Amino acid sequence: MTMLLDVKNLRTWLRSGDGVVKAVDDVSFSIAPGETYCLVGESGSGKSVTALSIIQLLPQDIASHPGGEIWFDYRHDSGERERINLLDREIQVRRRIRGGRIGMIFQEPMTSLNPVFTVGEQLIEALRVHYPQLPGAEARERAIDALAQVQIPDPASRIDDYPHQLSGGQRQRVMIAMAMACEPDLLIADEPTTALDVTVQREILRLMRELQQRRGTSILFITHDFGVVSEMADRVGVMRHGKLVEEGAVDDMLRAPAHPYTRELLAALPENLRRERRGVVVPFAAAGASAPSPLLEIQDLKVHFPVRKGLFRRVVDHVRAVDGVSLDVNPGQIVALVGESGCGKTTLGRAVLRLEEPTGGSVRFDGQTVTGLSRQELKPFRRAMQIIFQDPVSSLNPRLNIATTLIEPMKVHGIGDSMDERIARAEEILQRVQLEPASLWRYPHEFSGGQRQRIGIARALVLDPRFVVCDEVTSALDVSVQAEILQILLKLRDEHGLSMLFISHDIGVVEYLSDVTAVMTEGRIVEMGPTSQVCGRPAHPYTRKLLAAVPRLRDRLAS
Amino acid sequence: MTDVAHMRSRSFSARIAREVLGAWGARIGLGWILLLAAVAVFAPFLASSHPLLLSEAGQIRSPVLAHLTTGDVMMLAAFFGVVLLWRVRTPLYRKGLILLGLVLLAGLAAGAWLKPPQIVIYEQYREAQRAGAYDWVLNTPIPYSPKDYLRDVGQSGLQGPLASDRHRHFMGTEENGADVLSRMIHASRIALGIGFVATGIAMVLGVIIGGLMGYFSGIADIIGMRLVEIFEAIPQLFLLLTFVAFFGRSLYIMMVIIGLTAWPGYARYVRAEYLKLRRQDYVQAAVASGIPLTSVLFRHILPNGVAPILVAASFGVASAIIAEAVLSFLGLGLVDDPSWGQMLSQAVKSSTFNWWMALFPGGAIFLTVLSYNLIGESMRDAIDPYLRKSGG
Amino acid sequence: MSTYILRRLLLMIPTLFGITLVVFVVMAASPGGISAQTLIEGQGLEPEARKALEDYYNRLYGLDDPAPLQFLRWLNNVSPVGFEFDAEGGVAGFGLKGSDLGTSFRYGRPVTDLLAERIPITLLLNALTVPLIYVIAIAVGVRAATQRGKSFDVGSSVTLLTLWSIPTMLAGVLMIGFFASDQHWHWFPTAGLNRRAALDMPFLPHWESLGDVLLLFVLAVLGTTAFLLAAVRLPARYRALLMLVVGVAAGIGMAQAHTESPWALYLLLPLLLGATAAAVGYMQYAGMRVVAMGSVGLLIGIALAIRLGSGGFVPGFLLDRLWHLVLPVVCLAYGSFAFLAKLTRTAVLENLLADYARTARAKGVPESQVLWRHVFRNSLLPLITVFASLLPGLLAGSVIVEQIFSIDGMGKLAVEAVKTRDRELVLSITLISGLLTLLGYLIADLLYAVADPRVSYD
Repeated sequence: MTMLLDVKNLRTWLRSGDGVVKAVDDVSFSIAPGETYCLVGESGSGKSVTALSIIQLLPQDIASHPGGEIWFDYRHDSGERERINLLDREIQVRRRIRGGRIGMIFQEPMTSLNPVFTVGEQLIEALRVHYPQLPGAEARERAIDALAQVQIPDPASRIDDYPHQLSGGQRQRVMIAMAMACEPDLLIADEPTTALDVTVQREILRLMRELQQRRGTSILFITHDFGVVSEMADRVGVMRHGKLVEEGAVDDMLRAPAHPYTRELLAALPENLRRERRGVVVPFAAAGASAPSPLLEIQDLKVHFPVRKGLFRRVVDHVRAVDGVSLDVNPGQIVALVGESGCGKTTLGRAVLRLEEPTGGSVRFDGQTVTGLSRQELKPFRRAMQIIFQDPVSSLNPRLNIATTLIEPMKVHGIGDSMDERIARAEEILQRVQLEPASLWRYPHEFSGGQRQRIGIARALVLDPRFVVCDEVTSALDVSVQAEILQILLKLRDEHGLSMLFISHDIGVVEYLSDVTAVMTEGRIVEMGPTSQVCGRPAHPYTRKLLAAVPRLRDRLAS
Repeated sequence: MTDVAHMRSRSFSARIAREVLGAWGARIGLGWILLLAAVAVFAPFLASSHPLLLSEAGQIRSPVLAHLTTGDVMMLAAFFGVVLLWRVRTPLYRKGLILLGLVLLAGLAAGAWLKPPQIVIYEQYREAQRAGAYDWVLNTPIPYSPKDYLRDVGQSGLQGPLASDRHRHFMGTEENGADVLSRMIHASRIALGIGFVATGIAMVLGVIIGGLMGYFSGIADIIGMRLVEIFEAIPQLFLLLTFVAFFGRSLYIMMVIIGLTAWPGYARYVRAEYLKLRRQDYVQAAVASGIPLTSVLFRHILPNGVAPILVAASFGVASAIIAEAVLSFLGLGLVDDPSWGQMLSQAVKSSTFNWWMALFPGGAIFLTVLSYNLIGESMRDAIDPYLRKSGG
Repeated sequence: MSTYILRRLLLMIPTLFGITLVVFVVMAASPGGISAQTLIEGQGLEPEARKALEDYYNRLYGLDDPAPLQFLRWLNNVSPVGFEFDAEGGVAGFGLKGSDLGTSFRYGRPVTDLLAERIPITLLLNALTVPLIYVIAIAVGVRAATQRGKSFDVGSSVTLLTLWSIPTMLAGVLMIGFFASDQHWHWFPTAGLNRRAALDMPFLPHWESLGDVLLLFVLAVLGTTAFLLAAVRLPARYRALLMLVVGVAAGIGMAQAHTESPWALYLLLPLLLGATAAAVGYMQYAGMRVVAMGSVGLLIGIALAIRLGSGGFVPGFLLDRLWHLVLPVVCLAYGSFAFLAKLTRTAVLENLLADYARTARAKGVPESQVLWRHVFRNSLLPLITVFASLLPGLLAGSVIVEQIFSIDGMGKLAVEAVKTRDRELVLSITLISGLLTLLGYLIADLLYAVADPRVSYD
């Protein structure tokens, strides 16, 4: 059988600054008609660049291909087929290929659609590029049909909507419709569901599988998520630092990976981490019968934001970000707060620390009410309650070196009697998060994302807190880095009795890490209890829906 | 995981400064500004009818020094202060305070000791020389003061460069007979002075009001925005005209007034930066650590927000210089003191085109404005990629 | 949407109040304030006559009242809703009345008349300038963005920055000095908006014979087509050569037209013009090149027609007015290109790298369409926003330009009003220019809402 796509020894060099980055270094793989090939790797592995090289979307002045060929089985309009090397400069049919024979969808549905044109106009443009003689009415009909195929409800009226009027999932469906409009043979999907909620992701993946079966399209699916791989792939290729380290059928890869790197990646998955944790004695018990008095008590907390409309900007309504939440955290306990985007979990985390002002309800720490205190009165509590953020880029002040960032809070609270003592303490904390003491004198831009997250943890630890809010701290990290961070957090709890409110949307991480899980949606908690119970035998229908949507390796391995 | 050990740690400001100074545009701009600053500081020694040194009946005296004013001394003190402090390793604000102290001290000392004569007769030196009263005379490179109307020479009026063979006027004379080059040198003081002081006032006002608006929001924001809108809706030039026409024309008033009309731009920047930075994670982290408000404002928010303001300031100095020139051009500028704009207005007097009055003062304004614009552009180019990289 | 407009209009009122208050405070707080004395100064009258004149002015304009009362009275006069006074000064009623901007001290005429005369002229100047600025800025900015880092980008950046740095006064003075004086080229008029004779002329140009018109038409069309074809068809080297010849010829002609024609000009001008023309001919940027060469062809055609024609050509009021406007408009426009072009360049650069542009390319849309359909549309948004802040700058620029070119517009009136401390006029001009600026902001915001579907004002 002729392969649809045959990548042979592809090399892509990217010019950056004065040097050259070998983004793709001698990569070879092939995709058969109708099959789904997943290209997996961490950030910087070169998987996106590979995809962009195939469809030739890399900027001409930066990218070059010193070697390799990409053979594509091109289908002429007449029906006859011809093998073409896509890297060949002089191709007549290049314009036909892009969009017509190879389609591509991207990661960010928010920004991937032009905000000033309607959905219909952009769909029709896709059609018109490849079928210029298409009359207007027919083009519109085909566009509506395409929307129906991707299961957008009421396509005849949605076609005139602007992208900002659609949800993230709907926008991604529109992207798929645009890419599939001209019935390409190959669909390249670059992390299409990474930015979507897990329930939406499930729908999109199902849609893609359906379309593939109906049309016989091959899919090159790029992702970093092995769960998605287990759901979608026929074959898998693992990339690292621009090289393809291993490839094979998905079942073989997941069951018995050959290459050590693949094994490392699979071992770092939260669901696999758990297996290693069984048997570890945890000195601080989870929610058990002899629960000590809770460290943190949240009672009926509300955070409402006013909506102003009208001539005089009167308050007409409220956005109920947090709508009556009650939650307890015992000493030494990790309570996870799970929910999809927009459910209010981040707002809740910040409201606990009074970074957002609660509009109702109360928060008690160690028996004392924290809401309603003045800034001065709140100061001693600031030592005990800390927060770690999600985005490694904006969580550190780019103007200050690490030493200042760590030492300033110490000075404010009077920890340490001299500068030397404080520096020594800062060094010790850095070692606890597995960073070199010499890092103190560097600036944030010199560190990687994972390292910056560790510095963020160090900053939270510097005041010796008893309670930390972790706001999606691993969501922006690669899976191997994530594993390290999670283990650091666990160690902190095991060795120092640190309590945590762990906010996340990733069920796998939550299952691994937490003792108690609370499920949140639309500002309310719908289910809460020991993790094994909530995640194993969920009671509430929303929890069930959420858990069912998570793609898991073990489901695949079991079948 | 290896960390990037080969990159030497550099603070943000150091990196930006390095990048700016590397751009050729900024270098040209800085070069001209420094030249101008040196000329402005040493103006009394460069262009004056008072000779540097003369010997009369065996006695040596220095008329230049005798006629130095307090302002001259303060400028000299500032110049030497900057040179001395350049290499000293203390934080910037401390250096600034020392400099300020030095200048004030020099000013007080000069005020107490110096007594320049009120009435000056410029012609006395030339007359004395013609009468042979001096043994020898060492003149300044350009032996004319800006207000020396050369009444003893005779024909006073607009004359092109090197028109007269007896007295060398490299840039010609202006309508009152004074030497153009001399007036231009002294006018540089006014241009630079107004540029810096007016922009300084505007920046301080803008930062304070913008900061208040950004921090307190609510009522302060509403009132502040109305103020900003009001001052922005009146064309700056028109407000300037009104102020100057009604309040009379003194150098200090002009500085203050130009500053007063320029502050809304800075206020807007400060407010916008503030609102954006307030939401940044590291600011929230600082608040969560209990760091006091002043520290949050000055250590975390301000350094990260100051970059666009500095860029705006560079362009602001250029527009302050133009504002002064325009006022002088329209006849509302300083009455007797030399000014580039006022000289420019003489270029089309009496329906003849006096090209030297257009080229030289106009050229000076052009080069100065160009220099500040170049510096501003380079700063903006340097800051932009860093802004994107650091997510701030 | 209509609530939004209403709200904005209502919000204008406190701002306008604030503006006039600020200006009034400046006038009142100044040494001498607003009193009859300043009006009488320098007239060298005897004390009695002076007193009588003072009383007259005081009664006429209410100048002896305390300042706040003067301001309130002025406010009352201006606003359409206010108190009515009868002959004795007692309150007659309250309600809708016309707004009366008062009488100018200096001119002795109602302010409304003065403004009605002057405003259209200033508006005309700006109305001609704004589209010109935008068109050129977009043409340059888009090209600079697509040719980032290359010669056009760098070259245009330097040129525009230099242009921006030339103060308007200097440019105006140079232009008048070189092109409108007797010493160099007297191609353009020195002052005003029309020649005296033009007021008697018919509106449109008028030729003596039909043959002349035909000749003009034929030659113009021939010239334009010839050069357009050359711009499009000829290879770069021949284009450059053709334009070089044209440039050198123009240079020689210009040197000849000079009043004194020093020999240096015969060397310098052909060199300068020839080099620029050749560069234009050689340019890769098709759009600009075609337009430039086409215009050159048109000018050559018209010039030939004038030479060969029989004379007897009456320019007419319209052409005369346009001829007078060339230098002022150029003077007003040249500085604003730089800023706008830079803005366009930045916006286009950002959008070229945007995700949606990448999606469009992935669909197979050709790059030129990506640029002009997708990227350009999105890049317009910041240009619309900036339009609002252009207005005060243009009004200020008008002041200088009107002064230099002796055009009787609002700017010139403002300078005179301020110099003569004419209270009514100053306040009214402040009010009007403030109103125009705020309206400009409102229009810009509305345009933006039209252009960007994400924005809705509710």
